[in-house]
Amino acid sequence: MHQTKNGRWGTQARSSTYLNEAVAIWLRDLRSEFRTRYALNAILMFAVTTLIAVSFSIGSFRIEEAERPFLFSVLLWIILTFSALSGLARSFVKEEEAGTIDVLKLSARPQAVFLGKLFFNLTLLGALELIIVPSFILLMSYQINSPGFFIAIIISGGLGLGAGTTIIAAMIARASTRGALFSALSLPLLLPLMITCIKGCERAAIGMNNADWPEVKVAVAYFIIMITMSLLLFPLIWEE
Amino acid sequence: MICKILLTIWMAVIIVASFLYAGAAAGFPGETSRILFFHVPQAWIATLAFLISMIASAVYLAKRRVKADYLAQSAAELGFLFCVLATITGSVFAKATWGAFWNWDPRQTSIVILLMIYGAYFAIRSAVSDPDRRRVFAGVYSILAFVTVPFLVFVVPRITTSLHPENTMNPASPGMDPKTLKVFLGSLFAYTGLFVWMLRLKIRVLRIEGLRNLGIEEL
Repeated sequence: MHQTKNGRWGTQARSSTYLNEAVAIWLRDLRSEFRTRYALNAILMFAVTTLIAVSFSIGSFRIEEAERPFLFSVLLWIILTFSALSGLARSFVKEEEAGTIDVLKLSARPQAVFLGKLFFNLTLLGALELIIVPSFILLMSYQINSPGFFIAIIISGGLGLGAGTTIIAAMIARASTRGALFSALSLPLLLPLMITCIKGCERAAIGMNNADWPEVKVAVAYFIIMITMSLLLFPLIWEE
Repeated sequence: MICKILLTIWMAVIIVASFLYAGAAAGFPGETSRILFFHVPQAWIATLAFLISMIASAVYLAKRRVKADYLAQSAAELGFLFCVLATITGSVFAKATWGAFWNWDPRQTSIVILLMIYGAYFAIRSAVSDPDRRRVFAGVYSILAFVTVPFLVFVVPRITTSLHPENTMNPASPGMDPKTLKVFLGSLFAYTGLFVWMLRLKIRVLRIEGLRNLGIEEL
């Protein structure tokens, strides 16, 4: 049974699913990113310079031992969030700048475009976390007593960060002022997630090992809610 | 017209009653508990306006009627005003009872995030030049921001403890003095009336501006 696309294409049958289209867009973005490395370089350089500035100015032993779990988790999440905000808008802005947005509109369904871009942003965030989190732990001598909980909160926080910013990036790409506006619009939406992740990292560092990991649950719930709302609202932005 | 005069008289009566008729609640230093009659209705209007703005945005996105967008924008602007007022009166009360104007209590955190959401809403409105696109984007942002509110209301206050008085000043709790309750409900009514009046004025201003931009002279 072939699906037709909302009757827009008349009788032309389409056998591709949303997921196939999304994966195709994801792979295409990855390929073009491998060629230019624009977004990854911007995000990573931002993250590395911030990390070096933090490590250089604060060091690992300037802060009292009792304060370290909390303050280090705050610093880590500030570095991660602002690095992500420095480059994630790129995924949609580049389509607008290269003029490929109309072709993309013709060749894929809006939800598939959103999912493809989301996968791409999550890949970038994964690369960012993979490099920054171990470096942060090494440079700051960040002692973590529940590593499993810590890894879970980093991963779920990254998922939430990607879900909360991708739809904002789509809006920013069509607005006249792009750079500053992306952070201004994203941060109010991300603050509940940030507060949760900071608290989670603090508890993981201290080693309070609740079996049910409440902060991870909140971050995953945030991820699911944001994805659902974005899938509902994205077609409105995309077709405007 | 008659409604406006009645509202003016009603508000004057409430202001006098809040100082002379209702007694100061026990457990608070001096007369500080009287802030209840002004601060709580302001916070209520800020929340109500945000809710109205979100619903109107959803209606606009579904039906594409400009009227709904005027309502969403007006409610957001007035909500921002009342949100600022609630923040200021709240921090005056915080200074009197907790010793500092600002200490990142969960209530203060969530009201600051609400202010930031309103700020971002106006930022997206001013950043998009095409009117139809601006309305859609603002509406989408308003709905996205609204779904994060449960996290602020239910999650953040459970992560940290709050100093915000709940039971002694909550009208639903049996501890409230009947006189205080009467004045409080009266004040809530007065503020809501004031909000509706301001909202209608603001919508009219937006409609006239919209017509003028279209080049239509008649009102």
